[in-house]
Amino acid sequence: MLKILRRLARNPLYVISLLLLLVVVLITLFPGLFAPYDPYKMDVEAFMSWPSWKHLFGGDQFGRDVFSRAMFGVQKSMIIASSAIAISALIGTMLGLISGYLSGATDLVIMRIMDSFFAFPSLILALFIIALFGSNMVNLVFAIGLVYVPIFARTVRGAALSLRESLYVKASRALGKKSLSIMLTDILPNVSSVLIVTFTTNVSTALLTEASLGFLGLGVPPPEPTLGGMVGQGTAFLLSAPWVVLFPGLVIALIVLSLNILGDGLRDILDPRINR
Amino acid sequence: MEFGYIIRRLLSAVPTVLLVTFMVFLAIHLVPGDVVDIMLGTQNYLTQDQIEELYREYGLDKPLIVQYGIWVKNLFTFNLGTSLRTGKSVTELLGERFPVTLELAVFSLFFALVIGIPLGIISAVKRNSFIDNVVRVIGLIGLSSPSFWVGAILIVLFSGVFENFNLFGYVSMSSNLIDNLQVMLLPSLTLGLMVSAQILRMTRTSMLDILTQDYVRTARAKGVNSRNLIMKHVLKNALIPVVTLSGIQLGYLLGGTIVIENMFALPGMGRLLLQVVNERDYPVVQGIVLFIGVLIVLLNILVDILYTVIDPRVELR
Repeated sequence: MLKILRRLARNPLYVISLLLLLVVVLITLFPGLFAPYDPYKMDVEAFMSWPSWKHLFGGDQFGRDVFSRAMFGVQKSMIIASSAIAISALIGTMLGLISGYLSGATDLVIMRIMDSFFAFPSLILALFIIALFGSNMVNLVFAIGLVYVPIFARTVRGAALSLRESLYVKASRALGKKSLSIMLTDILPNVSSVLIVTFTTNVSTALLTEASLGFLGLGVPPPEPTLGGMVGQGTAFLLSAPWVVLFPGLVIALIVLSLNILGDGLRDILDPRINR
Repeated sequence: MEFGYIIRRLLSAVPTVLLVTFMVFLAIHLVPGDVVDIMLGTQNYLTQDQIEELYREYGLDKPLIVQYGIWVKNLFTFNLGTSLRTGKSVTELLGERFPVTLELAVFSLFFALVIGIPLGIISAVKRNSFIDNVVRVIGLIGLSSPSFWVGAILIVLFSGVFENFNLFGYVSMSSNLIDNLQVMLLPSLTLGLMVSAQILRMTRTSMLDILTQDYVRTARAKGVNSRNLIMKHVLKNALIPVVTLSGIQLGYLLGGTIVIENMFALPGMGRLLLQVVNERDYPVVQGIVLFIGVLIVLLNILVDILYTVIDPRVELR
């Protein structure tokens, strides 16, 4: 872990994105510390007001402080995206291990089902699930989580498939170790680096999916502040109060960008095959 | 030989398509309540007999697997059901809305290629230079930005620069081509910018792969000049993966224009989808999602086939 951090520290771009993500984690844990105002409080004076020192990101169509709402929005988005990807990682890794290690008919069935998931753009699939079960925070987490299962399943399966034929796995099998324990103790630790990279890059796409759902009005329902929702509701006033839309969008873009840069960095370090 | 391959490839998609239909069908039936409940809503003034009659009419009294069979049988005659709200057939609705989405997707892909490929080439040729770094950062920003944010920036910029620019208010292609193109410009540019990020990254990687190959070194040693080398020897091979990516992206564009269609008030398939989701018009939701799924599966096959045509090295299985 320390070794990874030290290698990341060599590139200033990685350092900046790491620091930014650290701030994001702090905001997620203590949004109240960063928000100068109550995100729900309406103030007539702040109504669609220009960004100023008093209201850094300006005021919205209800006179609420956009900056404070954005801080609480970061918290919601981060919680939803990371728990969703945690679910996908858990289910996807299990399916991938089973599929790759057992192979044969099990593999065929699991992978065919995963393939059919890929037939849908992730946003459409998430929207479909939300449409059926209604939109609240728990459903959002499960909908987005389910959408990203195939990515983990495919990635882990690929790794498991190649490890399956390695000598030490064959040795474990010869010693009479059970399949389940081979999967968990011999194969899983060796796919962990792939998992870390996949996790990082997919939290970023999950954030975009969550924001898009929020934009379409299918995210966490208002007046809860979510970054996508703020943009969606602000679009009607885009030309008179562009800051209501542009700042929350910028916050999303910055978080996703940092995660993508970090993902690239981790991939370079953890996966020596694509070191160029 | 190639004809046989195409048939085999098409057949291999049958299980995937069947699974897609099964998933969409099953998902709708996992919802608490059914079509009849939704139709009745809160004003339930029908007698028990009438309700049972409705169930029979919709075939809901039969076992699930039989219902699925009937549903799939109907799919073959392009009968995707009827809207609960408007009574229009889903096929009719798709026929009205899909052309708008298709136009948007095609224009977007055009912008993506026009922006992405040249940037990718420059980036690869001038590898590790200042330009390369700038292009790579642009690419990363493109991958990271939400489409509605890019759209909002473009709207603000355009409305500031051009005062009489028609941003909203859809005009169909058949009624006025010029107005239509004007309305489509910003949405297509937004999506095009998003997709161009992926195109430029792929072009760059693939160019770099080819540039390090032996035949390129040989050509260089033989004195082929740089420009000729890139245009004639490298580009042709480097763009093969870009073609594949474009095909895949076109599929995702067709399904993924929902945000932009809503932002720019374009009456496409994505806008319809959001509307029927909010109205809980399940047959239409089901129809659109299924249509998108099948479309993408078919497009992927088309890309596979195209791949063997443009790259003779690919072995047919």
